[in-house]
Amino acid sequence: MDASSILVSMRDEDQSFHVRYRMEASCLELALEGERLCKVGDYRAGVSFFEAAIQVGTEDLQVLSAIYSQLGNAYFHLHDYTKALEYHHHDLTLTRTIGDRLGEAKASGNLGNTLKVLGRFDEAVVCCQRHLDIARDLHDKVGEARALYNFGNVYHAKGKSICYSGADPGDFPEEAMVALRKAAEYYEANLFIVKEIEDRAAQGRTYGNLGNTHYLLGNFRNAVIFHEQRLLIAKEFGDKAAERRAYCNLGNAFIFLGEFEVAAEHYKKTLQLARQLKDRAVEAQACYSLGNTYTLLQDYERAIDYHLKHLIIAQDLNDRIGEGRACWSLGNAYTALGNHDQAMHFAEKHLEISKETGDRSGELTARM
Amino acid sequence: EAESTAVPSKQMLHSENMEMEPETMETKSVTDYFSKMHMGTVMTSC
Repeated sequence: MDASSILVSMRDEDQSFHVRYRMEASCLELALEGERLCKVGDYRAGVSFFEAAIQVGTEDLQVLSAIYSQLGNAYFHLHDYTKALEYHHHDLTLTRTIGDRLGEAKASGNLGNTLKVLGRFDEAVVCCQRHLDIARDLHDKVGEARALYNFGNVYHAKGKSICYSGADPGDFPEEAMVALRKAAEYYEANLFIVKEIEDRAAQGRTYGNLGNTHYLLGNFRNAVIFHEQRLLIAKEFGDKAAERRAYCNLGNAFIFLGEFEVAAEHYKKTLQLARQLKDRAVEAQACYSLGNTYTLLQDYERAIDYHLKHLIIAQDLNDRIGEGRACWSLGNAYTALGNHDQAMHFAEKHLEISKETGDRSGELTARM
Repeated sequence: EAESTAVPSKQMLHSENMEMEPETMETKSVTDYFSKMHMGTVMTSC
């Protein structure tokens, strides 16, 4: 090779290095911006930056794995589970290819969570098991606890999906009860570790879901014990949303214990927190629960008051199904008070909405 | 009779409003990855 061709070759290498360097820098800048946007909760914008980063490309496979993972999580938060599945799957394939065990465990966990939401429970279980196995191999206690929590969530969701609508908690088919009992076992195993590593936030989450699992199993006293623990931890952290969830779940459990006054007190706390958090949908739900509770207490005046509040919010939110339920409940309460004109008015409204929303059973109830 | 129509149905008592705790998604961060890389470089150069 003569001097001039050596020089040309060097220039080419130089240029290729320069292009690669620019590409890496640009991909990184885009990914960092995507990361920043997702951290502040702007997932839609974050997705755009991450997708642009992928378009530019990178030779650093760890960076690519982080981008895939964050894209999957962003789509998960945006409730686009098909896209979330796609990216978490890319991440899993990549981490396996490069032999990144910790990365593979994380990708498996995320994939399991996504499959659970999609109702693909058997595949989700496989992912949870892989997550758990790797975490144990790596002596990663935090990872192990998280895998157990995810396992609990998958079995809880599976159990709930089998529950016949209309059946009471505790009276579900055996298959559902088996899944729910498994969920409780996984949550207990998780709780053992998160107590050991003194992770209070994780304990709070597990107590909440363990409470819900015992509720569905019909163990309402246990449910109350766990939800009270959840409430305590939520207060420790000043986590108002978690506090609201705990109060609502406590209300539900006390209803089934027949302690309606106590249930009402908890639903009132839920309502207060929903208002503080400016969550109109939860506020509507709390009013509906309170209306139903006062109906059980045969305090129809108060029941009407809360059902009317529910009706107004449902109308504001353009929630026709909620509006229909409010009208049905109001019709019942007015009937109990002997106010037949109002009862008829709300029964007619209920019928009209049931027809519109295609609620056949609602329509039949209204005609009665 | 009026009382019986006002008793909430099972559906009404049902736990549609059960509040689940959030899922815990695993995170991989580009920032953390580079921080670790940088720490590794510093450690090696020491």
